[in-house]
This record gives sequence, C-alpha cells and structure tokens, in this order.
Amino acid sequence: MSEMWINMGPQHPMTHGLWNLRVRLDGELIKDVDPEVGYLHRGIEKISEDRHYNEVITLMDRCCYVAGFAWEHLYTIAAERALHITPPERAEYLRVLSDEFQRIASHLMWYAAFVQDIGLMSPFLYGMRDRDLILDLYQSYTGARMTYEYFRVGGVRSDLPPGFTDQARKVLDWLTPRFNEYDQLCLGSDIFHKRCDNLGVLKANDCVTHGVTGPMIRSAGLKRDLRKDRPYSVYRQLDFDVALADSADVTGRYLVRMEEMRQSVRILRQVVDWLDHHPGPVIAEELPRWLGAPYAPVGKEGYLLKRHYPKGVGFSAVEEPHGEAQAYVVNEGGEHPYRVKFRSPVFANISAARQYMVGYRVADIPPIMGSVDVCVGEVDR
Amino acid sequence: MSTVTLYSVSYDIASLILHILGFIIPPANAALTNGNVITGLAVLVFGVILLAASMLNTILLIWWERKLLGRIMDRRGAMHVGYAGLLQNFADGFKLFRKTTVQPREADALGFFSGPTAYMVTSFLLFGILPISSGWNSGILPLSLLLALAIFSFAPLFIFVSAWSSNNKYSLMGGMRSAAQMIAYEVPLLLAVVAVVIVAGSFDLTTIVYEQQNYWFWGPLFVALIVFVAGMLAEMERIPFDLPEAEAELVEGWNTEYGGMLFAFFMLADYLRALVGSILVVLLFLGGWTMPSWVPSAATSFPLAGIFWFMVKTYIVFGLFVWVRASLPRVRTDQLLRVGWNRMIPLSLLSVFLAALLVTVKCVWPFGCIPSAGT
Repeated sequence: MSEMWINMGPQHPMTHGLWNLRVRLDGELIKDVDPEVGYLHRGIEKISEDRHYNEVITLMDRCCYVAGFAWEHLYTIAAERALHITPPERAEYLRVLSDEFQRIASHLMWYAAFVQDIGLMSPFLYGMRDRDLILDLYQSYTGARMTYEYFRVGGVRSDLPPGFTDQARKVLDWLTPRFNEYDQLCLGSDIFHKRCDNLGVLKANDCVTHGVTGPMIRSAGLKRDLRKDRPYSVYRQLDFDVALADSADVTGRYLVRMEEMRQSVRILRQVVDWLDHHPGPVIAEELPRWLGAPYAPVGKEGYLLKRHYPKGVGFSAVEEPHGEAQAYVVNEGGEHPYRVKFRSPVFANISAARQYMVGYRVADIPPIMGSVDVCVGEVDR
Repeated sequence: MSTVTLYSVSYDIASLILHILGFIIPPANAALTNGNVITGLAVLVFGVILLAASMLNTILLIWWERKLLGRIMDRRGAMHVGYAGLLQNFADGFKLFRKTTVQPREADALGFFSGPTAYMVTSFLLFGILPISSGWNSGILPLSLLLALAIFSFAPLFIFVSAWSSNNKYSLMGGMRSAAQMIAYEVPLLLAVVAVVIVAGSFDLTTIVYEQQNYWFWGPLFVALIVFVAGMLAEMERIPFDLPEAEAELVEGWNTEYGGMLFAFFMLADYLRALVGSILVVLLFLGGWTMPSWVPSAATSFPLAGIFWFMVKTYIVFGLFVWVRASLPRVRTDQLLRVGWNRMIPLSLLSVFLAALLVTVKCVWPFGCIPSAGT
C-alpha cells in the first residue's frame, strides 16, 4: 500500500467525541498526524458575555460533560475574584467534595473508554457501573446526573440532604477495593503491557514545551499539580499526595490516573468528615441581589446600584481531571461578565499529538488517544 | 447402536412425501416413487435439516454468548424478547432483513455482493461435513478433517475480496490484516491437527472420535490443544485476535461498509465458524459424542444422547472462547504475527513430536493406552 491519509473522525469509535484526527499512514505505520478540532464549537465564551454571572455556570456544565463540576469550580473562582466575593468555608468544602467525586467519575469514564480502546470489554462495564454510584450521589444533592448547575458565585446552591455523608462513605468503601480490581484486569494482563508499555512517550520537557498538563505531565515524572502548587479552595487544609509515574507512556498515565482516584478517595474521606461536624451557611451573605442572594436586603443593593458595583478581573487555575484549566473573567460592572476566556488542558494535550504519535502503528492510536483522555466539549467550548 | 442415521431419516421423509404426492396424483405415481427421485429428494431434505440445525445452533450460540458476556460484565444480557431473551436474535435478524442494502457508490458490485455470500455459503458447507453423532454425519468421508480445514481456510479470500471491493480504507486495512493473520495461523493450526492425526491414524473425523474411546486426546496432546485453540481464536477473529475488525481503530474492519442483510450474512457466518471451531475442538480433543466409561450408562443411552452430550461439550468450549473474549485485551498486528510465527509454530512442531512419541510408547500414565495403536 502506498501512503494514504485517513480521517479518524469526526465520527469514529476512537475519537470519543466530535473531532477529527487525520493520519498519514504507510501500511500500518503512522507517518504524520494532524488533529482537527472545532466540530463542537458552541461559542460558550461569547454566550457568556450575554448571561448573568450565575447563568454562565449552566454553560460550564456543557463545557465538559464528564467533568462539569471542575469547570463550574473554575469559573466560580474567577468570577468571585472579579466580583470581590468570598464564599463561606462550608461551600468551599462542598465544592471540593463535588470536585473530587467528579475527578473519580471522570477517571472512571476514562478507564471505561480506555480499556475499550485496547479491546478489553468487561472493565468497560465495570467502570461505568461504579461511575453510576457517583452520579447517584450527585443526583441526591443537585438533582442532576450530568449538568448540575450547583455552584453559585459566592457559594453553592443548597446544602447536602440528610444522610448524604453516610451514603458517600458507603460509596467510598465500595470504590476502594475496586481500584485494585481494575489494576488486576489491566496490569495483571501480559497483553496490556505489550500494548501499552513505551507507547505514546512524551517526555517532561516536551510536555512543558507544548503546554501539556495533568496526568500526562505527571506520568512524565514532573510533579505539577495545581492543588499543591497553587492551592485553591480548601486544598491547603487537606492531606493528599500527588500521583506520579516516570515512564511517560500510556502505562504511566494509567498508573497516575489510578493513583489519583485513590488519592481522591483519601481527600473525600477527610471532606466528608469535616462536613459532618461543621454546619453553616453555604452561600455568602453580602451578595448583590442580582446574583440571587436568598437574604439580600432589597433596598440596600438592588438593580439600581448594579452599575456602581466595583469592577475587577479574576483569574483562576484549577486542576481539572484532564489537566490545568484556566479562566479569566473581566468584570466591567454590571450583571454580565464583560469577557470570559478559558484555557482547556485537553486542547493543548491533543495539539501535541504529533509529538507522541508519529512512529507508532495504527493500532496504537486508540490506546494513545485514550490515555490522553479527550473531552471535546472543553476543547471547542 | 441403532442404525437410525440422519440420512435414513431424510430418506424416510422424502419417501413419505413422494408417496403421498403419488397418491394424490395417480398418473405420476410410478415416476414419483422411483428410487432415484426419492434419493434426490432425500439429499435435499438432508440439506434442509442441516441448514435448519446449523442456523438454529448459530442463533442459539449468539444468545449463549450474549448471556455469558452479560453475566461476566455484571449485567444480564438480552432479556426482553422471549424467555430470557431467547428470541432476541430472531428479532435482530428480522430487523436486519428489513433494512435496505446500501452499496457504496464506488464499490465493485460483483465483489461487494459475492464476497459475503460466498463467505456464508462456505461456512454453511462446513457444517455438512462434521459428524455430530454416530448417526448424524454425511457418510464416510475418509478425509473429512482435511476437507473441513480446507473449506475453513477459504475465508481470507472472501473477506479480502469483499473488503477490497467496498472501496473503503478501513475495510481494506481490515482485509489486509485478516489475510495476514489467517495465513499466519493456518500453519500452526494444521500442525496441531497433524498431531491428532498421527495419534488417531486417520483423517476421518468419525474414526478420530472412536480412537478416543480409552482417553480423550486433550490430556496427552495438551500442547496441540493449546495451539489449536489459539489458532482457532485467530481464525474466528475473536478477541484477543480480532484485529481485522478492531472497532477501536478500524471502525468495523472489513465489514465497515456492509449493512442490513449483507452484514447479517457476515455475522451469521462468523458465528457459524465459531460453532465449527468449537465443534472441531470437541471432535479432535474432547471425544466427540462419546463419554468416558465411568459415566453411568443411563446418562449416555437415552435417545439422541450422543447429540446432547456433543452439544453440551460444544457450548462449554464456546463458553471458554467467550470467557477469553471478556477478559483479554486485543493484541497488535505485529505482535500477533510474531507470536504466530515465533511461538506457535515451534509449539505445534513440539506437539507433533509429542504425538509421534505417544504413538511409539503407546501407553501413557495416567491416560492409558492407544486402542488400536494407529492402524
């Protein structure tokens, strides 16, 4: 066969979403790749300029359908900094609770998709099954399984329902031994190592050059985790380790994600214990009325005063399950943000595709892209 | 044993039909009840019974796989159509039957349509060769094993033809992989069979089964069994060797462009080949329809006991294939070929050597002796 270009996508089982990987093949060998994104562009940044600060949170859920909470958190931090609002501590803990459960759910989703990519059928169902438990938890306190709209600028929408923490502990107890089970199914298999070792290697300096973050950079041995390096929310108070691997290949990313899930369970146990013993308000008291404060005095700060609300800009960086997400919110005074800009980690991760794909075989594309964990919603926004 | 065979049953049916017809139409009576006419119709009836049995078994096999896979994956599998989803596959089949056959614009019509048809026809042909019990066979075929394997190895040609003619890069790559893989695994498969043939002293499947009356061949020929099963997995294109239709990178591999009934042809033929593969394992290594002597005679002497036990063994063997499918990842093409040429062929040569040794020493503890020492 002569060299040929094939389009893997926009509809292709490898893509997990709506994007296109153009591949130049010589027989089975990959000569060149060219990722093409933009099929899922919904103009979220532009729409945000036309929405109230709290309404943007609805859009954040649509940014990444497997990690909605991470994006809600990212935006709320930036918006709060722009609006000079401080959320109460209990709200911060609730956010971390949501975030870390989301990290596990997202990684379980990744696990399910990734094992499917290397041809393992059963663990796919196991990953989805266990992710469902977390979605059930979400449903119990946000009412939704995917698009939560739970965070608010200045706090969260509501407190936990009674008995939630016990339920959460049960889920954590169920999950803990599951991770070893997953490891047995993957790492215990010779074929898995044959397929994944030394595959899709992206060394630490290449990661830095291309702005690759998240599990990919940690699998290359670089200890970079915003929860430690640039602690936001209440991560400073929580005790956890940064998952690391040094092989920089697909197996390394697998190990990092597995360890991250274990660390998330560790964080969640602390958070759940804290929530049990520290009741309190979950949304800031001094919100302007147009942010939907439940007890805001109507006469003091109403619609008339909105133009005089202090201006400001807010920047936030959050360790999303896929990598480092960043947000920039400009507040020119008013109900709507003047400009919102996001940085998606996955965009950088798949932009570097040429670095970690050329030279491997066509059968390696699904495991490599699977190990990158692509979520197209946040790439295109 | 009784002398009722599949052929005698079909002959009786054909004769009955023709005699009734002759009674209804008296002038044609003499012509219809002619011996040659009856024989001709008997062969037809024979074929219809085989076709129906193989079709039914194939569909049941798909159900068995779906249920077993479902249980392994912590779910239930098909549940809604029929009792425990038994009729689900019929529903799926009718759905595929109703669908329009779409032919890609640039596809080569001859290859596109004849490929799946030939694939299915040759797969059905296989079922006619294999003896299922002492009565259920197509007569004495001295080289039936060789014939079965020869027909089995037609498949890459038809797959490649249909892949190439559907004018799709994924199909083409799937077809290439299929051809490379099947040729690589044909050799160890045949060598493993040679080991059995050396011990049994015959290419006739019926004889091979009767040679296993003292002990089944899976014990002394364990290496050959392993090679044969692995080769069969590759021939059947099941995980971990399902590279030609690796859905992660090649969409559906060589049948990407096929939909509707043509896809159903491929699907049916695939499972038919899986069935034939399991049947061959049972025939060559697990004693066919015979049971060991310690099994109480009540369990082996009821009517159709041979077919019953044969089917039980076949479904258990296929269950093992399903288990493998549920728990292993897919290997890569180059790894598959390397394993095929570097590991399987030496192993199969070893199994041939062991078989020769077995024939020489005749008796092996704890299995016993070869009955007729390879006459």
